[in-house]
Amino acid sequence: MSDKPKIKVATAWLGGCSGCHMSFLDLDERLMDLAKLVEFTASPITDVKEIPEVDVGIVEGAVCNDEHERVLRTMRRQCKVLVALGDCALTGNIPALRNQQKLADVLERGYVETESTQAGEVPGAPEVPKLLTKVRPIHEFVKVDAHIPGCPPDADAIWYAVTELLAGRNPEWTEANLRYD
Amino acid sequence: MIAPREITLTIDGNACKGTQGQTILQVAGANGIEVPTLCYLKHLSPWGGCRMCIVEIKGSLKVVPSCSTPAVEGSTVVTNSPRLQGLRRLTLELLFSERNHFCPICPMNKGDCDLQQQGYRFGIDSIRYPYLYPAMPVDVSGKYLGLDHNRCILCTRCVRTCDEVEGVHTLDIGNRGVKNKIIVDLNVTFGMSTTCTSCGACVTACPTGALFDKAAAFHGPLVKCRQTRTTCSECPVGCGLVVYTKDERIVDVFGDVESPVNRGHLCRRGRYETWAEPRPRIRQPMVRRDGKLVATSWEDAVSTIRNLISTSNSGHNAMLVSPRVTNETIRTLHAMGARFDRLGAFVANKEDGLCTMPEFSPDGLSRLQDADAIVLIGAEPSRTHGVIAARIRTAVRRRGAKLVILQSRRSDLDTYADISAPVVGLERKFWKQVGEVLGTAKRPVLIYGPMAMTTVGVTILDRLIKTLGTVGEGGEMFAPIQLPTSTNSLALAAAGVEPVEDVSTWLAVRPPVFLHIVASDEPDGGARLLKEPHVRPLLEQIENVVVQASYHSVLTEIARVVLPAAIWCEKNGTITNFEGRTLPLVAALPPSGEAREDKAILETVFA
Repeated sequence: MSDKPKIKVATAWLGGCSGCHMSFLDLDERLMDLAKLVEFTASPITDVKEIPEVDVGIVEGAVCNDEHERVLRTMRRQCKVLVALGDCALTGNIPALRNQQKLADVLERGYVETESTQAGEVPGAPEVPKLLTKVRPIHEFVKVDAHIPGCPPDADAIWYAVTELLAGRNPEWTEANLRYD
Repeated sequence: MIAPREITLTIDGNACKGTQGQTILQVAGANGIEVPTLCYLKHLSPWGGCRMCIVEIKGSLKVVPSCSTPAVEGSTVVTNSPRLQGLRRLTLELLFSERNHFCPICPMNKGDCDLQQQGYRFGIDSIRYPYLYPAMPVDVSGKYLGLDHNRCILCTRCVRTCDEVEGVHTLDIGNRGVKNKIIVDLNVTFGMSTTCTSCGACVTACPTGALFDKAAAFHGPLVKCRQTRTTCSECPVGCGLVVYTKDERIVDVFGDVESPVNRGHLCRRGRYETWAEPRPRIRQPMVRRDGKLVATSWEDAVSTIRNLISTSNSGHNAMLVSPRVTNETIRTLHAMGARFDRLGAFVANKEDGLCTMPEFSPDGLSRLQDADAIVLIGAEPSRTHGVIAARIRTAVRRRGAKLVILQSRRSDLDTYADISAPVVGLERKFWKQVGEVLGTAKRPVLIYGPMAMTTVGVTILDRLIKTLGTVGEGGEMFAPIQLPTSTNSLALAAAGVEPVEDVSTWLAVRPPVFLHIVASDEPDGGARLLKEPHVRPLLEQIENVVVQASYHSVLTEIARVVLPAAIWCEKNGTITNFEGRTLPLVAALPPSGEAREDKAILETVFA
């Protein structure tokens, strides 16, 4: 073990399916190598909620509600390098499909009109995050330093990006390693 | 004719030769320099809309689209510079941000999308512009194709294809500015369109997932499919096909760009009807026991047939074959002709007239391509030979060719015709009019089909050949083109097989005791044999009917023995098109179930 201080990493899961985090776990035995170099702080994987000051912040998912926006801004404040992980963070992707409808209609459809729902109502409690009118990718809120496209990005793409970032370089995406699916 | 002047220009530091009138993109391409494109398609007129093919010309501050800028002698062109690459990247980002291009839920994901490929090529990992997320409709009302405006980049490849290749101009662009969208007819859905022929050329031309084949969507990426080049056996035009298969099923069927016959274009029959709709397939030999057809082995079916033949020695045996069979099957039939007292081909309506004097028309398609006047007599390309109808439409609409349609059923081609007369008389006034329309023609083409083979039709044909013979330049050009309805009827007729149009008379004159019907892969299983109501009782009177077919039909209800035949995409061999070209059929799939090719079945049964 080297005595070098470990690089601190936090990850966040906004409006997405968690597939990107699953893909992260797909690194399999490479996670062992990674654990020697980095320390995971707040993350859905560690279940630590409060984001401390970190070197690298990795964000999965689009910004769908005010809670997402708050977490994203906290992450930006707390990290040196912010990485957008996956297509939802980069383009809005599937969560952004609702942008074609009015927000009120979306809520009505989801909570009232659903075929299996009886006497449903749109939740309005203050502790429930408020949906934004439009789902947006994270770079429309904060500055993003590196991108990992893919739905989800496969483990190799994540590994490539992470190792490049650990080496102090920004990942370069080319025809050979770039995928949007 | 003056030969086009040769020009030389410098592209990316290389001296490149071209001819005057070529675009920069054409000269670059001919000299092995690849310029990225999106809205450009080789066989269509240039559009210059996507701005991917921009180049710098020395001495000009502007960048210009190379697809629509003429190459100029002595100019210096740069196709690749940091500025151009930056602008192209910007263009792609604008395209990605404009509509809803979400790759993971697109049928063209995984390599079939030009836009996605360009995104990869330019290393686009994020878009700097705010996404517009416009609410765009999806039109899946068409029978075979769908239009998802979310994925459209307005390259107009579909619009130009529809106009310039199929010639119907169903598609165009509606609205203004950011509200631009592809519209069908006067902004209706595909399902409501009165002009769309479902030729599917727009889907072939679409660079993204905006236009897609409904039956192929989400059935796997085309780039990962096996491709088989074969020939369409739906009509006597003989278009080249590329059949895309995966896991022993068809994913999609496109026209073969390299085929000299159709050069990539198809009609709905070849493009969709053969695979994109369900047909009840026969997959096993069947024998009738106690009034019911039961599945059996080939051995049992064959021995049953042999028994039927040996017990029917007293009466006579007959065979009726579909005009879709291959040349190889025809040869087999020829070789075993003595085994049957009578052999006939059940040709299409009125087609027997054509078959009594089969005439191949070499260069028929290229003559049509150059024609300045087209006369149709008793032919229905719009219904049967879509690719020829497309050539006629484009000849009229793009080259101003004259079109005269006589003695043919009404079709959309009437819209483009100078004269259209479903019923023709011999009035002097009418023929004077025809003479006036065709009077100036230098390269007239006369196409006649089965409906011309009536007393009136033949008179008209004679008269026209005389009329055209007096206006043209050389006599040999006016050999009229014979256009039959059935795939291989001319080859059958040339081989001396009797064309049978009136099945009931054929059967009634000498009722056979044993009748073997080779329906092959007739789409209706050969049921058109029974189009006249009195044929069925005649068939039912025949003791032993064997049906060799690919699809279940009323014919199989009558049969004592049913033999499963291979379909078009499972056949090897050749067919002869109306021009006399021998075109290859190459099996894209193994025969389904226990089906076998017609030729093999005949050889097994009558060995």
